[in-house]
Amino acid sequence: MFKPLLSGVAIAIGTLAMAGSAMAEYPERNIQGTIQWGAGGATDNVARSLTPHVEEVLDTTIVLTNRAGGTGVIGMNHVMRQRADGYNLLYGAENPQLYPLMGLADFTYDDMHPVNIIGQGLVVIAAHPDSPFDNFSELLEHANENPGELRMGGTGAGGLPSTIHAMINAVGELDVRTVTFGGDGPGVTALLGEHIDFMPLSLSAVAEQIRGGRLKGLAVITSEELESLPDVPPITEALPDIESFLPWGPFWGVFVHEDTPDDIKATLEAAYSEAVDSDEFREFLDNFGGAPLNLSGEEAQQYLDNWQSVTAWAMHDAEAETVKVSPEELGIPRP
Amino acid sequence: MSDTISYLLMAWLDPGLFGLTALGVLAGIYIGAIPGLSVTMAVSILISFTFSWDINNALALMVGIYVGGVYGGSRTAILLNIPGAPSAVTTAFDGYPLAQKGEAGRAIGLSTVMSVIGGMIGVAVLAGTAPHLADLALQFAPRDYFLIAIMGLLLVSTLSGKSLARGIFSVALGAAIGLVGMDMVTAQPRLTMGSMELLGGIHYVVVMIGLFGVAEAFYQLHNMAKVPVKQKVDKIVPPLSMVLKFLPLSIRTSVIGVVVGALPGTGGDIASLFAYDHAKRTVKNPEVPFGEGAYEGLVAPETANNAAVGGAYVPMLTLGMPGDAVTAVIIGALVIHGLNPGPMLMIETPHIFWFTVGNLVLANIFLLIFGLTGIKIFSKIVEVPKAIMIPLILVLCVVGTYSLNSNMTEVYWMLGFGILGYWLKVFGFQMGPIILGVILGPLLDESYRQAMSSVGDNSMAFLGGLFANPLSLVLSSVIILVLLGNTPLKGWILARFRRD
Repeated sequence: MFKPLLSGVAIAIGTLAMAGSAMAEYPERNIQGTIQWGAGGATDNVARSLTPHVEEVLDTTIVLTNRAGGTGVIGMNHVMRQRADGYNLLYGAENPQLYPLMGLADFTYDDMHPVNIIGQGLVVIAAHPDSPFDNFSELLEHANENPGELRMGGTGAGGLPSTIHAMINAVGELDVRTVTFGGDGPGVTALLGEHIDFMPLSLSAVAEQIRGGRLKGLAVITSEELESLPDVPPITEALPDIESFLPWGPFWGVFVHEDTPDDIKATLEAAYSEAVDSDEFREFLDNFGGAPLNLSGEEAQQYLDNWQSVTAWAMHDAEAETVKVSPEELGIPRP
Repeated sequence: MSDTISYLLMAWLDPGLFGLTALGVLAGIYIGAIPGLSVTMAVSILISFTFSWDINNALALMVGIYVGGVYGGSRTAILLNIPGAPSAVTTAFDGYPLAQKGEAGRAIGLSTVMSVIGGMIGVAVLAGTAPHLADLALQFAPRDYFLIAIMGLLLVSTLSGKSLARGIFSVALGAAIGLVGMDMVTAQPRLTMGSMELLGGIHYVVVMIGLFGVAEAFYQLHNMAKVPVKQKVDKIVPPLSMVLKFLPLSIRTSVIGVVVGALPGTGGDIASLFAYDHAKRTVKNPEVPFGEGAYEGLVAPETANNAAVGGAYVPMLTLGMPGDAVTAVIIGALVIHGLNPGPMLMIETPHIFWFTVGNLVLANIFLLIFGLTGIKIFSKIVEVPKAIMIPLILVLCVVGTYSLNSNMTEVYWMLGFGILGYWLKVFGFQMGPIILGVILGPLLDESYRQAMSSVGDNSMAFLGGLFANPLSLVLSSVIILVLLGNTPLKGWILARFRRD
């Protein structure tokens, strides 16, 4: 009732405003923001924390809607089918960069315009405090002696754990049982109950559990130790060769239709850049276990291309089952 | 100690928080009563809305909406046979027959009092045993969720009405609907027939609105000529003797509610199904048979789904893990407000825990007040001429479905399920088992595959695991006992024993 009513009012006001002054400046009405993941998830949290700061800069309301499902395909497809007038934004995570590779859809972020790559999440391999392993090297050694024994939590093909697993397998070997959960939340719950042995997770999902002593970190997916997680070794200690894939992490970004007029793209880019730079949002992101990037324009495109090439080839080299097409056929260059 | 009391009473003494809780409950009742408008949705809208507020104000409003919304689903279930939320599906089984006898006022009054009793028991369990209950909930391994889903499937015998064969068909149909979408493990499209819109699956609320809302509206066209039942609205507040009579049952079903609610993989919808089943199995001689307006059939689901609210807060406040979809969104709200939901929440910010407990108690008191007022006007809905009511229901169904994900495709699906539901009703199929299948199908699929991959896809190890662990053994034994109790085998065994 609420939302249709709101958008109804928004359209009515929008029409009135248009009739009043045809040359009005963008934005002259509410903007629709579509989040491609569900309420309460990481993308949702980032989007809802950032948006009020953007609203302040643009002096308009951004109506946020969650359109989850199909690893984000549904939300992205929706925004791509809207008019290219800058009134429909997509808040997305890294997944679309792998859609063609996994045979989920034939589009990627190349088919949209990046307004801002907000930030990148850090990744940690977590285990229960009672686990016999204190770091990832010990776990790897055990797994090599007992292949197919340890239980790793996953979130399905193309999810973050499967990508990390692929990267490890591209430079070494880790033969484990993968137990798939509906998302980070159910995975962490299973880890807390010791129903799985370890799970690669975004730091935002486990930082509090580690701080509270309910879980421990075996490795962070970086080449250096993190200030926020002392005593958790970087993964390069166990697997030095993995360095070629780093820095790697899930990211969040804001996107708009490719054919949006240039001046509107510029307005949006400036507004989002200012918002991501605000102290309050920086503080949130830091607390949340993410690193700010604040990339737009050419830099953002470069980041997206590089992320896609590193991840796609790591999955290809590890012969991940999910890879339906070779990255070469899709025109993704080797890193 | 004095700190704890001051946190507990925070919502009671601050006029702003007091008012927001009241507002939340009132709004929640009406949001919950409209099929499709869900508490989850209302709370996620509130996140953006309350971004700049003080966190306590935001939490007070959310608690109010949560408590009111879970209760609100029963209103339309009783009056129109259209549950406002999945957790009120079983409320309609006996609530609607009561309304047809002119007892809608009494039914709403009773369900209000019972909801408050359930809610209070839920809060008491939360306040008293949260850390222990959370630890118990963590013990549930994937195989235990699998066993719970199997137990749920056995409810088909309770929900099928006259024909068990039709019931089993309906559960299978529901499970197939629940499996549409992307495969969780392989990310392969499953039963989507190449449609991108179906990758996300069919939301079970879409199915529910179609089967209950639209199908019921169509079915009502059969009795256009029937004069609406005059409602008795003089005796609304149930007498104390009646409340006391149902107290033992309501305590048992509240416990079911709070435990099922505390499990991170299950919520109020499954809790109310189990509670209804429990009532039907344990109450041997209800004054009126179940399905024809038994008060017990109203008491069980209404206590359970409100008790599940307290349960859902257990893992959220102690571990930072959501107990259901609503608490997942509330965790998001805490994150955005700069708090750190996790195991340290109770240690570093104990006021959040006690504030929530106090606030839930306050919300339940408001629920009693708002729930028992305005019933007279509400009951008149049954007396509204069908020519006005049916189009209104259809409009609400469309609005409710669209607001779910702002997706027109889901509205078409909902209408399709409405037409399907109408024909199923005509041929004597029950809607309950279909919803049972839609809810349990994915849980069964997920938990079975998790349990199997945990033991390296070894079926013998999987079967052994169902009996090797104490928790699994209890669940397996319950299933075996229920199976034996419902089959001729029980009579045969008893006969053999007698002979010896």
